[in-house]
Amino acid sequence: MTSPPTQRTNPLHLLAAFASGGLLTLAIFVNGEAGRLGGAMFSSWLAHGVGTLVAIIFLAAVWRGQRAATAAATAKIGKAPLWAYIGGLCGAVTVMLTSISVNSPLALAGTLALGLAGQVVLSLAADFWGLLGLPKRKLDLRDAGAVILIAAGSLLIILFGLGAA
Amino acid sequence: MIIPILAAFAAGLLVILSRQVNGRLSMSTTPLISSFWNHFVGFAFLSVVGLIVGGLIPANIAEMPWRIFTGGAIGVVFVASGSWLITRIGAVNSTLLVIAGQMVFGVIFDLLRGAPVTVWAAGLGVLLILAGMWLTQRKR
Repeated sequence: MTSPPTQRTNPLHLLAAFASGGLLTLAIFVNGEAGRLGGAMFSSWLAHGVGTLVAIIFLAAVWRGQRAATAAATAKIGKAPLWAYIGGLCGAVTVMLTSISVNSPLALAGTLALGLAGQVVLSLAADFWGLLGLPKRKLDLRDAGAVILIAAGSLLIILFGLGAA
Repeated sequence: MIIPILAAFAAGLLVILSRQVNGRLSMSTTPLISSFWNHFVGFAFLSVVGLIVGGLIPANIAEMPWRIFTGGAIGVVFVASGSWLITRIGAVNSTLLVIAGQMVFGVIFDLLRGAPVTVWAAGLGVLLILAGMWLTQRKR
């Protein structure tokens, strides 16, 4: 890497990430409703289709700035490799996998809990090795503490907090 | 039982893999362009699978409530923000704070719409999450 990994995180960035989790809650809620009405595949297809249209509208509105920013980014770190364009496949396959597990004895709670485990494992590996061209980040005891507290709190909510009487 | 367990775990891996891949694309373009490609490629792939399997679009799509069409718009903002964030705060912080927000807002959302919430478990869970968030923001 040309720039040293930044260790100090901006609290506003962390707050933005927290707020985006709220967006995810809303998206999962409305996509879940679409799934109940038309099936998981339909729900995901619809969300990706609408998302494509909305992204085009946003891009059209700010195209000049986006083109300039892309030119600057490409000049600095080079073109993106071809595989970087197919992140969308992951999201599409995720829907198929979760519909297998939601309709098994794992149900929604088990699916969420195991999915959380998968997310934590791969993100730890991603920061540790700097996977797929993203910056490496040193992990320390504080990261371990944050992982344990947030995972424990989430499991408590998923397994005992929601849905149950 | 092993197949559903692996499927659920792999789904979690893929959530992070997609954020990592989209994040890499955003480094050479912009988060919004990266979000466009994410949705376009997903849409193309699911359309092909739908054509092969059949029955993708339900007959009563016109009668469905309008709010189910808003998920994709929220998704565009969510995926763009994920790409923007992962290059700034890293994968672990992104994962933890997005999950934290999803859980805390999920509890608030369920309370507001009158869904059943077990107060002791949800309250204790939120407290643990807030404690974990405090750890992520402390200066090193």
